[in-house]
Amino acid sequence: MSLPQLKNILRAPTFYRLLSTSTACQKSQSGRYRITPRKDLPLTYEMANPPHQIAHRKTWNSINTSNLEGGLRSSETAIEDIFIRKFMTGTWHALFLSEIIIKRQHNIIRIAGIVRRSVSARKMYFLIGYTEELLSFWLQCPVKVELQTVADRRDVVFKYI
Amino acid sequence: MNFSRLFRHVSNITSRLSHRQYSNLPKVEENETDKLFKIMELELKGHDPAVLKSFVKFATTAGNHLDVQSKSWSLRKPIHDRRSVLKSVHIYKKHQVQYETRTYFNFIQFKHLTGSTADTLLEYIERNLPEGVALKATKVELQTLPEHLKSP
Amino acid sequence: MLSFSRKIDKTAFRALEKHLILAYSTSSEPQREEEFRVLNLKHVKGQTVQRRSVRKAEIQPPRTTQMPVDQDWGNVWPGPRSFHPATVPLPIRQGYTPTGVAPGKYANAELMKIPNFLHLTPPVIKRQCEALKKFCTPWPKALDSDEKCERFFPLEVASSDYCHSSPTIRDPLARIVSVKFKLGVLGLEGRAKDKFLRLVGERYDEQTDIVTIVTDRCPLKKQNYDYAMYLITALYHESLNVEPWEELKSEADMEVYIWENNASKTSIEALFGKEAKEIENVEQYSQAVVRYMNEGENQYTVEQYGDAVRKILNLPPVPR
Repeated sequence: MSLPQLKNILRAPTFYRLLSTSTACQKSQSGRYRITPRKDLPLTYEMANPPHQIAHRKTWNSINTSNLEGGLRSSETAIEDIFIRKFMTGTWHALFLSEIIIKRQHNIIRIAGIVRRSVSARKMYFLIGYTEELLSFWLQCPVKVELQTVADRRDVVFKYI
Repeated sequence: MNFSRLFRHVSNITSRLSHRQYSNLPKVEENETDKLFKIMELELKGHDPAVLKSFVKFATTAGNHLDVQSKSWSLRKPIHDRRSVLKSVHIYKKHQVQYETRTYFNFIQFKHLTGSTADTLLEYIERNLPEGVALKATKVELQTLPEHLKSP
Repeated sequence: MLSFSRKIDKTAFRALEKHLILAYSTSSEPQREEEFRVLNLKHVKGQTVQRRSVRKAEIQPPRTTQMPVDQDWGNVWPGPRSFHPATVPLPIRQGYTPTGVAPGKYANAELMKIPNFLHLTPPVIKRQCEALKKFCTPWPKALDSDEKCERFFPLEVASSDYCHSSPTIRDPLARIVSVKFKLGVLGLEGRAKDKFLRLVGERYDEQTDIVTIVTDRCPLKKQNYDYAMYLITALYHESLNVEPWEELKSEADMEVYIWENNASKTSIEALFGKEAKEIENVEQYSQAVVRYMNEGENQYTVEQYGDAVRKILNLPPVPR
């Protein structure tokens, strides 16, 4: 056996993968819903309009200045928004009927949305206070929760497909 | 309900706080001269032209109430920041999609303000800035030539 | 001790006896017995526990129904807030439907997303501006035109402030300060002006006579402003200052042709035998020479020079 072959055998196994650097975009799938055979999938107005209708038929869910020309902190804002969304869906479990709307004005973060009236008003006040307190502690800026309540799930349904 | 009481309470706290703050600050001298601003130009940026339009209307109205001349204009075209990505995950280079972010611009120019007016107006406008709108305020101050630069 | 234990035995035995009688007696008194309970291993119908009925919370009717017509809207909606349909007494609709009407204001997330100006209605703006007016001062009446501003306040200092929606109020671009002034206000003449222009370089605009100094190398606006003023002071005094090596500037270092310093003057004085001032038509000649030397040789300058020479030597002009 020659020396180079021996070297190859004795070398530690390496794991590597070739990366494609072009970005993928799930444009034809993300934010779209398939028609069900019985046409009974409820959609809200937000869900009924696919992403290319943003700024035409529907607005953004996050409203801030970081994506403007010359805006600051775009990556931090995006990550904080994801964190807020995850926190809200977990804390307000199965209560939010709309998307979570995050508006940033100066250093204030205002979280809006439509919730179901399935828990008592007392619990809801507790949840509001809990959310505001914890989020403002983590994000180090004042957080306000501005909610609208509906009696039933079916109130926000725009159409069935 | 209790909102008014709460509000009064908060305002009491803030007044106490501000009193404490001001007592630490150095006293403003009596005969301190005010600054003079020739022009104060606001550049407003936003994704939504309708919001910008409403805000410009608000700012010019506020300027009119405070007796400041103003004029406003907007860029005819927004700045498009485009980004092309593949439609598919891996290959098929022929099929691409474009994302774009648009930045709409509006400008307001206030003319001939004193320092206190400029501070008041700018703070009032900035406090009422809606979400998703960025503001850049450029002030041109008028100053006399310093004594040591006058020819001997 | 013994009697006590016996007593216990007795009572226990009696209780057991009673129990056995009850269990095995041929039911002498069946009416008094309880109903025989069935062991129910599977849950069969008819055994349901009554469910607690969920009490629905009392929902107040929307606030808009109780609002008086002449209410003060500024108190209802005092500050920026997301849209709430129960507070806004307007029949708003928002959204797109291919057929039919747009979705109403209740349970409409689109209305909550868009920034609203409900707290900035015209009467509210007017009221707030009235309250703010006491902090404002009027513009001095004597400074009504730009020319007067320029005459009394020749220095223009420009800087920017930024307002983003982020937790920090710092913006690195806010440090930049630019100072503008007309070169004429410094009152520099001749050599000093030439030196100033050389030091300033491209920051001077010839068409408008304006010098612009932009500073951005310090981290704060105040520092940059001080630096700009320092630069202007240094430039001014440096250009007034005459260094010893500046006196050594010879004819070869001149950037423009000056007739008085050159051989053309001495030769014409030698030719006429008197001072240059006393020669007739010498101005035209000197100007022609200066133009010829500075602008270069072209049809116009050459013809001018020829005419001037003919005139100074009293020769008839060339017929054209």
